[in-house]
Amino acid sequence: MYEIFVNLFNSQILAMAVSAALPLFVFILPFALFAVLFERKVSAHMQDRLGPMRVGYHGVLQTVADILKLLQKEDIVAENVDKPFFNLAPYVVFVGSFAAFAAIPFSSKYIGTHAEVGIFYLIAVSSLVVAGLLMAGWSSNNKYSLLGAMRSAAQMVSYEIPTALVILSVVMYTGMVLPNHVGTFSLEKMSQMQTAYFWNWTIFGGPVWSVNKFLLIPFMIVAFVIIYISTLAEVNRTPFDIPEAESELVAGYHTEYSGMKFAIFFLAEYANMFAVSAVVTTIFFGGYQSPIGYLGNTLHIAWLVPIEQFFWFSAKGIFFVFVQMWLRWTLPRLRVDQLMTVCWKYLIPYAFVNLVIIGIITLL
Amino acid sequence: MREKETTIYLGPQHPGVTGNMMVKLKIAGDTVLKAETHVGYLHRAFEKLMEVRSWMQCFPIVCRICVPEPDPNEENLARAVEELEGREVPERAKYIRVMVLELARLASYLLWMGGQSGSAGLYTMPQWTVGDRDYILDLFEELTGGRVYHMYIWPGGVRRDLPEGFTDRVLKTMDYLEKRLVDYDRLLFNNAVFQKRAMGVGVIPKEKALEWGVTGPPLRGCGIKHDVRIDEPYEVYDKLNFVVPTYEGGDVWARALVRRAEFEQSISIIRQAIEKMPAGDYYNKVPNPFHWRVPAGETYVKTESVRGEFGYYVVSDGSLKPRRIHVRGPAYVHGVSLLEKILVGANISDVSFIMNSLGVCPPEIER
Repeated sequence: MYEIFVNLFNSQILAMAVSAALPLFVFILPFALFAVLFERKVSAHMQDRLGPMRVGYHGVLQTVADILKLLQKEDIVAENVDKPFFNLAPYVVFVGSFAAFAAIPFSSKYIGTHAEVGIFYLIAVSSLVVAGLLMAGWSSNNKYSLLGAMRSAAQMVSYEIPTALVILSVVMYTGMVLPNHVGTFSLEKMSQMQTAYFWNWTIFGGPVWSVNKFLLIPFMIVAFVIIYISTLAEVNRTPFDIPEAESELVAGYHTEYSGMKFAIFFLAEYANMFAVSAVVTTIFFGGYQSPIGYLGNTLHIAWLVPIEQFFWFSAKGIFFVFVQMWLRWTLPRLRVDQLMTVCWKYLIPYAFVNLVIIGIITLL
Repeated sequence: MREKETTIYLGPQHPGVTGNMMVKLKIAGDTVLKAETHVGYLHRAFEKLMEVRSWMQCFPIVCRICVPEPDPNEENLARAVEELEGREVPERAKYIRVMVLELARLASYLLWMGGQSGSAGLYTMPQWTVGDRDYILDLFEELTGGRVYHMYIWPGGVRRDLPEGFTDRVLKTMDYLEKRLVDYDRLLFNNAVFQKRAMGVGVIPKEKALEWGVTGPPLRGCGIKHDVRIDEPYEVYDKLNFVVPTYEGGDVWARALVRRAEFEQSISIIRQAIEKMPAGDYYNKVPNPFHWRVPAGETYVKTESVRGEFGYYVVSDGSLKPRRIHVRGPAYVHGVSLLEKILVGANISDVSFIMNSLGVCPPEIER
């Protein structure tokens, strides 16, 4: 994308700015608008309600109205907060989740950066969110906020370990598939590698037809389950929404925020939800590859293929976002000690064993 | 490492607390070291107020003592006055009273299910149960004219006879609730996460339970079979066939199971009451309420409410007004002294969870 803009504007800085702003306006904002409404509708239909119905047809414009309302709201800053950090925190959180989108391949023609260390970068920048949350909790000068922030910091840092272990096992496995047995960190290459048709996806053992492919399937499924659980915890969704546990901590780290700053926290949460779903999609479910082949290839229309890819990528991502919502409205949350038990006693050992087994199978 | 102690004030404006009360928690890390309940945000001086009202005017007051379950209060005062006066209650009125009391119990259990799962972070359940509770409130509206406060049970019987076809509608609602219980099981009671949360939390020791004055589902959750409806049957409970479920453990999970089993028992009691309900008079009329003197004397009556044993100590000096009405509410015991004891050592995540499982009802604590 960046190269196209360089040719277009003849200026690297302008091109950089435009290509950086693109995912925000093309994807994150429309997605957040859609996802908030989607979440309200999903929860409503699970709870025998209709959800928003008044603004637009079946309430489709409800989030637009909400954002207009939030824009007009007074930005309340309490007297005893640590103002610089209080004001900075929402943006740090947002930058963390927003920067992750740079490495996500939406289609073969649309990716923020071709960085070789894509997934590494993604894990690193999403850790920035933790710093932002801590900042928000601490500067609010509110005990509930601080408790929420401390909990979320502990939770996110702990759950990054199983995530990283699973990603490591997938990176190891890419060495088996890619030529010259050189593995990759790049999400783009991982997507390319899993060519069209669903049986080539990593969760089904990858595109190379061998005994290893079938041996890998059960362990890939275990790896997927582990990473899905830990990404749920990383984005603070039920059953791991302990930092925002309403019945204990009011609203956790964003208790003191109002108006647009609150909206930015909200936006970051939804952006994060998609970011982790995108990672899961990319490394296990074929990334932007279509499960059933491309219409563009059949009809020999070259420009149709990237659009189809974008569609499939969004569809898969939104499906996993839907699963997150589904879990949220059907599960209670865990207690804070149970949360840590799940991570340190179950997920991390299983992820380790899984890593070793996948390593052995790849070497076979 | 020694963790620093912090004090947090849970409530009265906190989404996790069951009403207008505050729990002052001294915490270290996530563990509660000391809990102190502060009540007084909703004190309406009902007991004193009733001393300057005529007997009949007390009924709109007592039903406001505990908002989610007004009927046991009406039942208590009505029965106390009847005992002082020696007034006969028609047989039909007794059956209607049992039916109304059990309907109120079901409504209250539905509210509890919502609160219990809401405090665990499952917000689908409250939407379902509060929605289903509306069907019971619709029945009450038809029967009494009021959805929450009924003022239906009064001395000498009940205020109105059943409308035509009412029992059929009650039975239909019971069938519906029985079907819904399967869904509730799926969502809440068979939910592994909920079981994990509830087991071993908020334990009331069995040997201490009676000493601390625990009653109702929390006591039956300790494995002690105690129910006013069986031990000292009032109205027609002795003519109906039902069991009092008990579970061992004394934790939130045992209490949840007790309530779930009682939900089924209540449905069965309502069906039996409707089946056995005789025809006849429903009201043994009291004299003009403005000149109605209740003979001097004192009495103590009790009812099994959803939260536990509801007792009324009523003294009359033979005048137009009661001399003294003292309310022994279960939530006072559960929500003040018991809560302070069992919150010690609990995780801060479990505070509102435990409060909900004890059935703490702040309006009733303060009256």
